[in-house]
Amino acid sequence: MRELVLIQPGRVLVGPSERESESCRAHREFEERLAECGPLAFRVAHGVLRNAADAEDVAQEALLKAYRNFGRLREPARFRGWLVRITFRMALDRWRSVKRREKRETQGEPPEQRAVGPTVEELAVSSEFQARLERAMEELPEKFRLVLLLAAIEGHTLEEVSGVLGIPMGTVKSRLFFARKQLAEKLR
Amino acid sequence: MSCEGYRDKLIAALASGDSSLAGDVAVHLGICAECKKFYEAQVHLFGAIDSGVRAMVNEAVPASLSPRVRAQIAEADMPRRVWGVSWSFAAVAVAAVLVISVTVLKRSRDNTNKVADRSPAVGQRASGATGVRAVLPQVAAVGPKRRSPEVQTATAPREAVKAPEVIVLAEERAAFARFVTDLPEEREVAVAFTRPATDAEDEAVEIALLQIDELDVKPLESSNP
Repeated sequence: MRELVLIQPGRVLVGPSERESESCRAHREFEERLAECGPLAFRVAHGVLRNAADAEDVAQEALLKAYRNFGRLREPARFRGWLVRITFRMALDRWRSVKRREKRETQGEPPEQRAVGPTVEELAVSSEFQARLERAMEELPEKFRLVLLLAAIEGHTLEEVSGVLGIPMGTVKSRLFFARKQLAEKLR
Repeated sequence: MSCEGYRDKLIAALASGDSSLAGDVAVHLGICAECKKFYEAQVHLFGAIDSGVRAMVNEAVPASLSPRVRAQIAEADMPRRVWGVSWSFAAVAVAAVLVISVTVLKRSRDNTNKVADRSPAVGQRASGATGVRAVLPQVAAVGPKRRSPEVQTATAPREAVKAPEVIVLAEERAAFARFVTDLPEEREVAVAFTRPATDAEDEAVEIALLQIDELDVKPLESSNP
């Protein structure tokens, strides 16, 4: 019995084995991206949430989303940019929901008394500054905040930030400038 | 330029991450102790900001991140495969139902056509013998929604014969066709079926007492002393 195959002109016929190998290749590529960009996603999330467990959850969700959309994110630069943006957005959403929950829970409770011993004065000063810095960061416009976080990640150059976000180098520098200036004004 | 102007310039330099100061600003800092003090405070502040932001993002990445992502991916892939299998089953089932429906419909149409082709002969034979022809029905199958065009064409010439027309539901069409085909063999049944009912009302049933002519009563043997 002869087997007839209908082939559309201009299209390559993909057999089951080829399809399987294609899927294997995609899986392997995603593994590479996971190793390369997983830490980046976690750090961006941590920059927003300042909590390792929450940041890990958000990074995990973002990476899973990236896996689902991997068909159109095969290009490494595109993948990084997409992942950073989606992680940042998801982290902001999570942060807002955490804040809302905290607000609900602390409603009606007396303000917490902070005990600061003189021996840990320096530590207290530093932690107080960090808390003020975090608050000031939260008030920054999102686009300034993301650039500031990405530029602060170890080993990240401004060129890389520009590449990840797909914006010109001049824009990265100006956003960084305004972000730092605004933070200094709030903390002065 | 006033001290305020120089301070704006040095803030701008620090905010842009430029450690080198413009010549006039550097000269002013050399002669203005207040601005020099302000500058040192700003250097400290920007340094603290940078180190604070770095501390926020450069947290050690937990080792569990990648395994967790892999596990999630495996979990997410699982239902997709199951869905794929169930979709293929559904597709096969739908195809099977379609094929069966088409076959049944075709057969039923064929049967109707056969009957339509055969019935004139039956009619002639019947009319010649016992006059059943007059009561032989024409099969005009009427479905609940649409009429079959083939059946209409088959019955059209017979309308001229003025034979009685019977409207049959689509689902009973095949059975009725069989009935019409078997009519010549069961003529009496056909006549009985097609004869109009008598106008006379049912006669009343007679009610009378039960009459027994002879009654012989004998005592039971066991009752004798």
